[in-house]
Amino acid sequence: MSRSLAVLYLFLGTVSLSAQSIINKTIPKVAENTPLVEVLDSLSNEHNARFFYLKEWLATYKVAPNDAGVELGTFLANLLSNTDLYFLQMSENTLVFVKDPNQQLERIKALRKAQKEGSNLQEIIFGDPYATGNQNQVTLSGKVLDDKTGDVMPFAVIQINDSDKAITTDDEGHFELTLDPGVVVLNVSFVDFEKSTIDLSIYQDGEMDIYMTKRSLMLDEIVVRGDATNEVANTRIGKQVLSVEKMKNAPAFFGEVDLVKQIQLLPGVSTVGEAASGFNVRGGSVDQNLILYDGLPIYNSAHVFGFLNAFNSEAIRNVSFYNGGIPAQYGGRASSVLDIQAKEGNLEKWTATAGIGLITGNLAVEGPIIKNKSSISATLRSTYSDWLVRSFRTNYADLRNSSVDFYDGTIKYSHVIDEDTRLSVTGYTSNDAFNLGGDTTFLWSNYLGSVNLSHLIGENFDVSLTSGFSSYNYKVMNEDPVTASTLGYQLDNGIIKADFTYRLSDHLLSFGTQMLYYGFSPGKLYPNSDVSNANSINIPKQNSLEYALYFSDQYQFSPKLSVEAGLRLPVFLSLGPQQVYGYQAGQPRDINVITDTLSFSSLQTAKAYIGLEPRLSIKWMLSDLASFKLGYNRMHQYLHLISNTAAVNPVDIWQPSDFFFEPQRADQISIGYFKDTKAKAYNMSLEVYYKYIENILDFKDGAQLILNPNLETELLQGSAYSYGVETAFSKNNGKLTGSLNYTYSRVFRVIDGPSDAERINDGNPYPANFDQPHVLNLNWKLELSRRHYFTGIFTYQTGRPVTIPLSAFNVENTTVAFFSSRNQFRIPDYHRLDLAFVIDGNHKKNKFGEGSWTFSVYNVYSRRNPFTVFFQSQDGGLPRPFQLSIIGTILPSVSYNIRLR
Amino acid sequence: MMEVKTGAYVRFFLLAIILLACIEPIEFDIPAAPNQIVIQGHITDQAPPYYVEISQAKSINSEDTTSSGISGLTVTLYDDLGQEDLLAEISPGVYETSGGIRGDVGRAYHIVVESSTGERFESIPDTLIPAGKLERIHFAYDRRRIDAETGELNADVFNVYVDAKTDPSINPYVRWRFSGTYKVLTFPESRITVDPSYPEPPLRDPLPCSGYIVVEFIPGGKLEQIADCTCCECWAEQYELAPQVNDDQFVANGQFKKVKVGEVPITGATFYDKYLVQVEQLSMSRYAYDYFRLLKSQKNNSSSLFQPPTGELKGNIIGQNTDQRVTGLFWASSTVSDFIFITQEDVPYPVTPINAATEACYDVYPNATTEPPKEWYD
Repeated sequence: MSRSLAVLYLFLGTVSLSAQSIINKTIPKVAENTPLVEVLDSLSNEHNARFFYLKEWLATYKVAPNDAGVELGTFLANLLSNTDLYFLQMSENTLVFVKDPNQQLERIKALRKAQKEGSNLQEIIFGDPYATGNQNQVTLSGKVLDDKTGDVMPFAVIQINDSDKAITTDDEGHFELTLDPGVVVLNVSFVDFEKSTIDLSIYQDGEMDIYMTKRSLMLDEIVVRGDATNEVANTRIGKQVLSVEKMKNAPAFFGEVDLVKQIQLLPGVSTVGEAASGFNVRGGSVDQNLILYDGLPIYNSAHVFGFLNAFNSEAIRNVSFYNGGIPAQYGGRASSVLDIQAKEGNLEKWTATAGIGLITGNLAVEGPIIKNKSSISATLRSTYSDWLVRSFRTNYADLRNSSVDFYDGTIKYSHVIDEDTRLSVTGYTSNDAFNLGGDTTFLWSNYLGSVNLSHLIGENFDVSLTSGFSSYNYKVMNEDPVTASTLGYQLDNGIIKADFTYRLSDHLLSFGTQMLYYGFSPGKLYPNSDVSNANSINIPKQNSLEYALYFSDQYQFSPKLSVEAGLRLPVFLSLGPQQVYGYQAGQPRDINVITDTLSFSSLQTAKAYIGLEPRLSIKWMLSDLASFKLGYNRMHQYLHLISNTAAVNPVDIWQPSDFFFEPQRADQISIGYFKDTKAKAYNMSLEVYYKYIENILDFKDGAQLILNPNLETELLQGSAYSYGVETAFSKNNGKLTGSLNYTYSRVFRVIDGPSDAERINDGNPYPANFDQPHVLNLNWKLELSRRHYFTGIFTYQTGRPVTIPLSAFNVENTTVAFFSSRNQFRIPDYHRLDLAFVIDGNHKKNKFGEGSWTFSVYNVYSRRNPFTVFFQSQDGGLPRPFQLSIIGTILPSVSYNIRLR
Repeated sequence: MMEVKTGAYVRFFLLAIILLACIEPIEFDIPAAPNQIVIQGHITDQAPPYYVEISQAKSINSEDTTSSGISGLTVTLYDDLGQEDLLAEISPGVYETSGGIRGDVGRAYHIVVESSTGERFESIPDTLIPAGKLERIHFAYDRRRIDAETGELNADVFNVYVDAKTDPSINPYVRWRFSGTYKVLTFPESRITVDPSYPEPPLRDPLPCSGYIVVEFIPGGKLEQIADCTCCECWAEQYELAPQVNDDQFVANGQFKKVKVGEVPITGATFYDKYLVQVEQLSMSRYAYDYFRLLKSQKNNSSSLFQPPTGELKGNIIGQNTDQRVTGLFWASSTVSDFIFITQEDVPYPVTPINAATEACYDVYPNATTEPPKEWYD
C-alpha cells in the first residue's frame, strides 16, 4: 500500500502545479468553530472543486474566523502537519485526503511482537489527533518505577517501536522522549523485570510514570538481556549493571549466591584465589574498590576470610559496577565503584522467602507498614557450619574445638511522604567470629546506618540528601593464659552528602557535595587476664576529614554524540591531636634516626591535600547498532589498606593519608568499541585502557605492620602502571544464552627511593601480586524448559606472581633460604569449571508459595588450583616447593529456597 | 612485634587445609642459584677466639648438603680504636681470631674480607652493648595430642620461658638463644646381620666401638666384652627452630616476664636421663635485630595462608669494589647465660623406655657426641 501511494505522489507531482489551482483559493470568512467539512463543501460549490476523504477523518477539524484569507493549501498544510493525515492534489480542482499507514504498520508490528513475548501491555493516549494547535513534535517525559516498591529505576531501556532507536532512564529513573505525533509503541525493559509495552497515541506533550513488574518465574518466559543492559544505548563506558536473578541461577560455592564472585567474572576483574575476599580491577589493588551500600562505604565484604561475601542477595535491589569513566559523584578510591542499592519493601503485600543451603540459612521478609505509603524489608542470614569444621579428620586435635560463626542482617524502611518526596532508612550489619582450637578468636564486624531523603522540586530538579555512619572493627583475642590479650582495630565513618540533578533541555546536570569524617583506632592491645604478661599498647587515634564538591553535565550534542564531563574537587585533612616524628634528613626513615617530634592539637590540621579530578565520558554512535566510547578519570584515594599478604585478610589495617603518606592518584583512560546485532541478540565489545597510579604503598621486606606506631618506617611509596585489552561477547536470546570474555592485562609497580633500603627490586618495575596477564571467563545458561535449566561457568587465569627462594645457606644450625627479587616467578595457572542445575517452583501464578532447588557442582574436574606456593624444609634440609590448594576437590552442594506470599 | 598474629595465621592455615584444601609438593622450575657469598661472624664480651664462617650459598634444588666453605680469604677484625686482628683459617671457610682483640662493652667492631683476586667485603661497625640480666629460666608442662592414622598420639612438651631485665634506653633489642642437651643410650653390641644365603638364624654382629666381640661360632654367635663401649652413651643437642628476639608487646620498662624461648619434647630419649636447658641472652644492634627478625619470620611464616613474602636477608656486609652478591652479618653482643635441668620427675607420668637402637649413638641421634657438656655433672 505504501508503494502505491508513492507512485501516486510521483504521478501527481508532475501534474499538480498549475497557477490557479484549488489550493490557492482562500478560506472564506466563517463563524467560530465551523467544521472544516462545511468549509470544504462551500469551496467545492464555489470553485467546482472535488475533495475526497472519509468523514470521520476530518470530523474534528474546525475553522476559525481569523483563518479567512489564508490559501487553502497553506491552511491544510498547517492544520495537518502534525497528524497522520495529509492531502494530495490529483488535478487542478481535486484534492484527496490520505491517512499515512506507516505509523499504524509499525505499531501493529511492535504490538504483535510484544504479545508474543508476553509483555505487559498498556494503552495510553495523550491529546486529540484532531485538536487544533497540535505541535510538530511532542515530548513524553516521566519516570520508570518498580510497581511493588515504588523505587525509581535508573538505566531502564525504552525502545521505540521494534526499532533500534532507544534511550535509557537517568540515575533518577527519569526519561524524556521527543516523538512525532501519532501512534508509537514503547518497549520498556530492565534486567530481571518483565518487559512493559505501551501502546501510545500521543498528540501533545505528556507525562507518565511507567511501572514495571519484577520478573516472576511463574509468568511466561521472558527474555532477560545480558549482564550489561543494552551496551550501545548506554552512555557510559565502563559501567555494568548486574542481575541479581542471574546471580541466583549461577553455580555457587557451597550453593551460596555470591555477588563478589560474580563481579570477579566481569572483564577486567580478577582475583588471587578462593580465600581472597577482594577483587582487583584493571591492575588496582583490592583496597582501590569503593563498595557502597545505599551510599555508605563498607570496608570488609567477607565472611570466613573471604570464602563467602557479606551481602545477602535477597537484600539487593540493584548493583552497578564502574571500572572506567567513573562519574564525578563518586570518589575516594582509585580503581572502581561497586554501588549496591538495598531492596525496598513491597508497598502492597507481605512476602517471605526462606532458603537453606549447606552452610547458611536465610530469611527475607518484606511488606507494607501502611499500604502504598510505607514498607519494610528485612533479611537475616546465619551459618550453622560448625559441623563442617568439626567433622573433618585432622592431624591437629585441637582443631576439633574450632568454630566458625557469622551472620549478616539488613533492614530498610521506606516511606512515601508525598508524590515528590521519599524517605528511606537503611541498616546493615555483618559479624564474623572465627575461633581456632579454643585459644585464638578472630572477630570482625561492619555496622552501617543511613537516612536518605529524596525530593523532586518542580519537574526537573531532584534533590537527594543522605546522612549516616559506617563502622568497621576487628578483634583478635588470644586466650593462651600466658599471652592472653585482645588486639583491636576500629574505623568509624560519618557521612553527610547532598546530590542534585537538574534537567535543562539537552543537558543533565549533576552536582553535589559530600563530607566524610574518619576516626581510626589503629591498634590497641591489652591483656585479658591477671596472669597474662601481654603489654598494653595503644596506638593513638587518628582523625581525618574528606570533603568533596562535584559537578557534571551530560549533554546530547546530536543524536550521534553525547558527552558527559565532570569535575570533582576533593580536600583531605589529617587532623590532630597527633604527633609526627621528624627523621634525620638523607637517611631512610627508621626509629633510630628520629630527630624531633611535632605535636598537633585537637582538630589542628597536620596535613592537607587538595585534588582536582576531571572526568569525561563520550559516546559516539557509529550507527544504531554500534558505538565508540571514550572514558577518562582521575581519582584520589586517601585510605590505604596496609597489608603484606596477597589477599585481603580481616586484620589488615586501613591507614589514612597523613603527614607521610600522600594520597594515591590514579589516571585512567579507556577507549571502547561496542556492537550489537539486530534486536540485541548478540553484543560484542572491545576496550583498551591504560592506568597510572602515583603514591601506591608497598611494604619493606619483613615489615611489621600491626601495632606499629611508626608505619612510615616500614612502608614505601611508589607508582604503578597497568594496561590491558578486554574483549567480550554475549548471546542474549534463545534457549542458550551466555557470555564469553577474555582480557589481556599487565600491572607493574616501581618503588625507587633515594637509598637502597627504600627501593624494591633495586628500583626496577616488578609485577604486582595480582598481575595475571590472561583471564578468560565463560558462562552460560541452557533452558531445558521453563522450569529447568543448566548454568555453568568456566574460568581461566594466569598464575599470580610469587617470590621464591633461590638459594639456601646455614645460619646457626638451621637452613635459611635466600629469596628472589619481589614477584619474579609465577604459581601454576588457575582454571575451574562449575555447573548448576536449577529447578524452579511451579509456575502457576496464584500459588501460595513456590520453591526452587539449586544443585551446584563447584570445581567439576577437581582441579587443585594453587592458592600459593611456599617453600618448607623438612628435617632441616633445603626448603622444597609445596602448593596449597584451598579447594582441592570437587564440591557438590544443594540449596532450597521457598517464597511465601 | 606481633606474636599473636603469626601463631593465629598458622592455625588458620591449618584449618583451611582440613576444610577443603590440600597441600602437596610440586615441581617448580627454579633457576640455578647465582654465585653468592655468605659471611657470618659474631664477637662477644666472652673470651676469644671468635669465628667468622664464609661459604657459598647452595642452589635450592641442590641435593648436596655438605658445607661449601670458601678457603683462602684474608679476614681481618677491627675495633674502633684502630686495633686489628688477622684471622686464621682453621677448616675450609672457618676463620678464627688470634686473640689480639677481646670484645668489650662500648666498643664497635667490624670485619674486612678480601679475596686473592682483590674483591673486598666490609661489615658495618657494630657496637657491643650490655645484655642486661637473665633473671630466671623456668618451664611448664604442655599436654598436646596429634591425630594419626592409628589414633591419637602423645606430643607433649615442656615450654621453656625466661624472665629478664634490660635497660630499654641503651638496649632495646635482645635475643635469647636456646639449646638443649640430653643423654641417650644405644645398644650397638646387639646388632645383628642376616646372611642372605642362610637367613636363619640371624648373625650377631656387634659394632667394634661397642667393646664386644663374637667369640663362639654357635648359631647366632655369643658376645663377650673386651673393652668399654665408646658409642653407647651420647649427649644429643637440640637447637632452637627459629631465633627468638624480643617482642615489643611483652615488655614493660625492660622487664620481660615468661618469654617463651623454646620447647622440649617429652620422649623416651629426651628423658632417658635428664634434660639440660641452656639459654644465652644476647644484646644486639638494629641491624642484627632486623636480620634475626627476618629469619624468625621466615621460619615461622613459611606455611601461612597469609604468607608474607619474607624478602631478601640483607644483613650488614657490603661489597666494596665488587658486584658479587653477598649476604651476612657480623655482629657484636654482650652475653649472659644460664642453665637448668628438667628431670624425669618433672614429667607427670612414667616416661616410656628409650628405643633399643643397635647403631652407634652418634649415628642414631642428631647432633650427638660422646662428650658430655661441662654443665652436665654440675
